[in-house]
Amino acid sequence: MAAIFSGAPPQGGPGYSFNQTPRTAPSGLRQHHGFYPYTDNGGSTLGISGADFTILAGDTRSTSGYNINTRYAPKLFKIGGEGPDNKNARIVLSVVGFAADGDALKERLDTIVKMYKYQHGKEMSVAACAQRLSHILYNKRFFPYYVHAILGGLDEEGRGALYSYDPVGSYEREQCRAAGAAASLIMPFLDNQVNFKNQYEPGSGTGHDLQAKVAAPLPRDTVEELVRDAFTSAVERHIEVGDGLQMMIITRDGIQETLTPLKQD
Amino acid sequence: MNHLPQAWGRPRDDVYGAYDHSHFQTQLPNQHTQSPIVTGTSVVAAKFKDGVVIAADNLASYGSLARFTDVKRLRKFNDEVVVGFGGDVSDMQYLDRLLNSLDIRENYSNNENPLHAKNLHTYLAKVMYKRRSDFDPLWNHLLVTGLDGEKKPFLASVDLLGTTFSSPTLATGFGAHLAQPILRRTIPDEDAVANVSQEEAVKLVQECMKVLFYRDARSMDKYSIAVITTSGVELKQDEKLENQSWAFAERIRGYGTQVN
Amino acid sequence: MDSLVAQYSRPAHADEGQSPEEQLELLQVTPELSLKFALPPVSQSSSWLRAMTDDYSNPNCPIKIAHGTTTLAFRFQGGIIVATDSRATAGNWIASQTVKKVIEINNCLLGTMAGGAADCQYWLAYLGMQCRLHELRHKRRISVAAASKILANLVYSYKGMGLSMGTMCAGVTPQEGPALYYIDSDGTRLAGNLFCVGSGQTFAYGVLDAQYKYDLTDEEALELGRRSILAATHRDAYSGGFINLYHVKEDGWVKHGFNDTNPIFWETKLNKGEFSNVTAEME
Repeated sequence: MAAIFSGAPPQGGPGYSFNQTPRTAPSGLRQHHGFYPYTDNGGSTLGISGADFTILAGDTRSTSGYNINTRYAPKLFKIGGEGPDNKNARIVLSVVGFAADGDALKERLDTIVKMYKYQHGKEMSVAACAQRLSHILYNKRFFPYYVHAILGGLDEEGRGALYSYDPVGSYEREQCRAAGAAASLIMPFLDNQVNFKNQYEPGSGTGHDLQAKVAAPLPRDTVEELVRDAFTSAVERHIEVGDGLQMMIITRDGIQETLTPLKQD
Repeated sequence: MNHLPQAWGRPRDDVYGAYDHSHFQTQLPNQHTQSPIVTGTSVVAAKFKDGVVIAADNLASYGSLARFTDVKRLRKFNDEVVVGFGGDVSDMQYLDRLLNSLDIRENYSNNENPLHAKNLHTYLAKVMYKRRSDFDPLWNHLLVTGLDGEKKPFLASVDLLGTTFSSPTLATGFGAHLAQPILRRTIPDEDAVANVSQEEAVKLVQECMKVLFYRDARSMDKYSIAVITTSGVELKQDEKLENQSWAFAERIRGYGTQVN
Repeated sequence: MDSLVAQYSRPAHADEGQSPEEQLELLQVTPELSLKFALPPVSQSSSWLRAMTDDYSNPNCPIKIAHGTTTLAFRFQGGIIVATDSRATAGNWIASQTVKKVIEINNCLLGTMAGGAADCQYWLAYLGMQCRLHELRHKRRISVAAASKILANLVYSYKGMGLSMGTMCAGVTPQEGPALYYIDSDGTRLAGNLFCVGSGQTFAYGVLDAQYKYDLTDEEALELGRRSILAATHRDAYSGGFINLYHVKEDGWVKHGFNDTNPIFWETKLNKGEFSNVTAEME
């Protein structure tokens, strides 16, 4: 995406550091690599946590450039549990960005969570898993995984827990988060509908008298509707989003997975 | 660290040197292994009711020169797996040796459960991803076809970055632009696979090879085609495109020295 | 000779994929905060990393790391005030408005986050671990000077690799009193009374320098911290969100809220008559 305003002063202008700013790239032995190790496979993901559940969702389209690789490439992965199909898992990871890095990341986290259970004889908590994921990402600080990850589950008290990450592992627990190609389309919608940003108590007056509406955890069916609306809208306005909507709902009873069609155009 | 407000927190030029855009460039002096030299073009594949069909032409190009006209780009791995290679031919030959040695090891260790297509796809994906992470990629785009552990049709792709995906129809290179829409017209989704017979699928893929030959300047009319079903692999390596019709060529306007 | 034969008779598959050591490493659960990092296999790895992540020099760079901040901390007679905004930006995109930029290293040491969010989170967590180990080894709390030096030496060893952090360590210990250090990823480590760090530092300094004196009461000091961040969120586009306020005392730190800037701004404008450049009239 081309930036309209980059905020950068003219390049090659007066140097702003203590020494004379070098105008050329560092010299020395340098292999010229024609190889660029990243690509963007498009798509978008989103997570919302509630009082006793967490919902993660992602579209299932995989793109390269203007081509659609496939209409079904899941971005949501169960983490932990038993066996290759993660039976009885309680944690879900969603990754969007470069799909190969995403798969590699998923497999590392999954292995670690499973090993944890073998070594300690108990399930890894979401908080521990979240911190571990941060460290996995940061271990590639100098050659990052090109992914935006969102991790969801239930915390020790049974409340919905949702953690979002940047590519090098800074993380934060949040109520809701959209990532990927359509993050800039979905996130403002969630700010308004989940955190009630720019919503005011009806009848509290006008102008400076307005009372901001206080955010509270939403019921599950409302959240499911929000997720659907977010994605059907994103499909209308972003070419890399579409084909299918994969949702995973984590509750006390386990993970419920649904797949619903989205527009394929 | 830069302390100018807009640039805050970014690398300082006097520590890191000027920002180097050349890391994004794909041309300029390359190491030889860093770009493909002798290349194969598209590979096309589609699932059908009880198997998979895959095809690739027999040409290896040297830039725009049609250099080698008898290069087989489909490789039978065992009785239920065929791999199709697009991209660099030397890397294809390396992968061929790799698969050979893997096959030998597998045959020595156990005969009970031979590797199925899904296993091989996972293995190749790991190899390709490891190589891209070492900045020493195998410059190929592969289609792995065959039967999975439950003897169901399997079709998936791996590229030089280690990206993997699976779909009822797949095509690499130019085929992704030209063949994939044709394939998707008949087999739009996984449900449609059950309604496609072997004959239909083979005809569909042959049609795609023809369209590719019409429009892909790096393609050829001799091709290999393989059909993988529960009864084994049927690989034909010297097929010729039949019933070509160049009638459309007459109507092409706008290229070359023609005046009107 | 045997090794030569072995080298050439080894099957091709032995060299592909992850080596046994690498596979073992993937399974390891224990080393959580490690100093081992995967490097890109290019000769100029820091230059490569910069090309991929410096969204200031190249707004189209593929990986955008969260940046942009105003943080401040100052010493006064009642301890140390630490205040930050809560905005994280990736390019022109506001990645988050709710970042916790005050990092609680332990119950009496605070660190602040400016620059790369992940760098600060990771290395301050690492510092927390080192501080705890120091306590266990020496049976007494670590001094702020020592803690800040661990961090400074650590980031200095990574100089030129592309870390980006500007952090302050604040703590009160019996031997030092209130102690405040500034550490950045160039390896700079400075002790001082008052620091502002981040893209909004200049705006915060403007307010802080005008009102600051060592003899501030606790209430005045908290208000000054809040007001300085407010000025920065108002004038710096890369700062905003919530004001995070902490007061560090000898028996530990006290949190004084994580409050939305918007109501605070209007409160300041309408009740105190400041920010007269902004109109409060509605058409």
